[in-house]
Amino acid sequence: MSSFLPALPTIVALVKIGLLVGGLMTAAAYLVLVERWMAAWVQDRKGPNRVGIPLTKVRLFGLGQPLADGLKIILKEDFTPKHVDKVLYTAAPLVILAASLAIFAAIPFGSSLPPIPALGLTGEEPLLVAPGLDVGVLWVFALSSIAVYGVLLGGWASNNKYGFLGGLRSSAQLVAYEIPLGLGLLGVVLAAGSLKLDTIMNAQADSGVWYAFAQPLGFIVFLVASFAEAARLPFDLPEAEQELVGGYHTEYSGIKLLLFLVAEFLHMVTAAFLIVIMFLGGWHLWGVTGSGPVETWVVALVRFAVLSAKILGVILFFMLVRWSWPRFRFDQLMNLAWKVMLPLGLANLVTVATIEEFRPQLVAALGDGMGRTVALVAPWVVFFVGWIAAGLLTPSGTDNTPILTHGPLDVEHELAET
Amino acid sequence: MIAIALPSIAPGTLLAAAVTSAAAGLYLMLPRGQGGRRERTARWLGGLLGAVALAGFIAAGRRLGSVGEEGVFLTVSLVAVVSAAATIASRSPVYAAIWFALALLGVAGVLLVLGAQFLGVATIVVYAGAILVMFLFVLMLAQPTGMAPYDRVSNEPLLSAVAGAVMLGVLSLSIGRLSSEPPACCAVPSRAAAVASPRVDDVDAPTTAGDPLVTDQVARLGGELFGRHLLAVEVAGVLLLVALIGSIAVVARAGDHSGELAPRRAAR
Repeated sequence: MSSFLPALPTIVALVKIGLLVGGLMTAAAYLVLVERWMAAWVQDRKGPNRVGIPLTKVRLFGLGQPLADGLKIILKEDFTPKHVDKVLYTAAPLVILAASLAIFAAIPFGSSLPPIPALGLTGEEPLLVAPGLDVGVLWVFALSSIAVYGVLLGGWASNNKYGFLGGLRSSAQLVAYEIPLGLGLLGVVLAAGSLKLDTIMNAQADSGVWYAFAQPLGFIVFLVASFAEAARLPFDLPEAEQELVGGYHTEYSGIKLLLFLVAEFLHMVTAAFLIVIMFLGGWHLWGVTGSGPVETWVVALVRFAVLSAKILGVILFFMLVRWSWPRFRFDQLMNLAWKVMLPLGLANLVTVATIEEFRPQLVAALGDGMGRTVALVAPWVVFFVGWIAAGLLTPSGTDNTPILTHGPLDVEHELAET
Repeated sequence: MIAIALPSIAPGTLLAAAVTSAAAGLYLMLPRGQGGRRERTARWLGGLLGAVALAGFIAAGRRLGSVGEEGVFLTVSLVAVVSAAATIASRSPVYAAIWFALALLGVAGVLLVLGAQFLGVATIVVYAGAILVMFLFVLMLAQPTGMAPYDRVSNEPLLSAVAGAVMLGVLSLSIGRLSSEPPACCAVPSRAAAVASPRVDDVDAPTTAGDPLVTDQVARLGGELFGRHLLAVEVAGVLLLVALIGSIAVVARAGDHSGELAPRRAAR
């Protein structure tokens, strides 16, 4: 890069980090407001609509609410109970927040900017903090597995049985659903031939076929697994209020609780980013964004807007699901992970691998258009077969009869003997 | 920088002194189970000796290119070494596991600095993300208080400290000798030369080992693994599959066992 400043790459990276962290934090605050509006809408009430500009009567539909909430929780007493393990109690929220922010080093938040010669940026500037990282998908995976530590340590250090149970449950869930998540990722990585998220988006834009259409089974598996990884409602067992008070953050208050809540919210935002980037085409929209390199600012902004709109759509879907589904029981959750999602993910992976291996022969034998059509239809056949098989063969999720170690006759024996 | 401050000491002597200091420091730091002020003083002294040893190792080692690179490398490697020492020195199993996780993150950071991105991230995914979480699970479930005495003391403090330090010394001596005269085949080009020369994007083109500017590392790594080392990869895969099936078989047999117990209990 020929620039008049030797430190230019560092400055560019710092600016990107600043924009990203600032944007994410603001977005998280306002998404909480959106979630409360959504809850109010589903439950047919008005929701937060009072807080506007302080000391005036201006309400602004309640847009001041996130600021007021944030100030309140930051200014609360930072109370540390006496029975906790102080070091790990303090470290846990920091670990989880640091991990969930560091994930975004590898996640692109747009396509790229056109060259800016006035600043010495002669090349296209990708909207990604670490564009040189060749293992983007793995980086995301690695840091989301580090986030498990925050949950586990928070629960353990609290020295509280509800917190501990919540932490154990949560980490068991996160570890279990990492496998279907990884299988969903692998299908996309195989098809795109790269671990870089921007290359994956470019591949979808070039072919015009989003991976959600090319790998429907992988999309469903990844979607379910990312709901579980983000601990959103059908999978929010870690903090099942009726059973565990507050789960792993029962003993937390004030700013430490805020860090946990922000990190949880960021997990959902990360999941939305990944779903959009890997399966819904990223910044690509047919006939609007084009697919080549970015030459003008208009294209850059349109692509950024398309990506943001898609992400917002997925987040709204997350929120709507929260108010539409009851929570799973723990055995249902584990059955879903190991007996349904794992085989379906494997089926998707094998399908994708087979198609990618034989694509050249397919195109050579059937011609370009026909070969592509077959490659697109085959995963849908697998999808429906897998769906039917899952419906027929998997354990019933609604069976509530307890599993007895002895049959009813044995119990009668035992009763007769005593 | 430090080497300039200590011009009269030969690197070999410095290394030997650092190894001795490291051994003594480790020996003092390992948990002995006496408790009280004496042990605390000993541990402080051990930490001090360990710091001296680290300074010696840094002074005896080679310098990297730029100040920034050197700083980042020193930071992550110090995190790795100090956390590794804390892993064996800490009394609580849970703390030991956390220190170990930190040591793994440090190692991953070293690998990232050296340009081995895939290895670095894979270290986090496999060790810190999967194996160590399982360890933590077992530790927390088996001993919620972490108070079992045999888990809190070191069994062979002297022998293990000496063995570890000698191993460290031998490794750094041999690696240092290897790297001071790189063979003609694997000379690492300087960064400036790599920037000046036009980059080759062809995957099949021969590359210099350890070049941090290669951008398609995963593709090259995959080509290498599934080309030259195909047999080893396949054997490892089969081995893992066998282990998986074996573990399922063990669990399934345990399930049968409890099934056998139930009627016996009913008969009693």
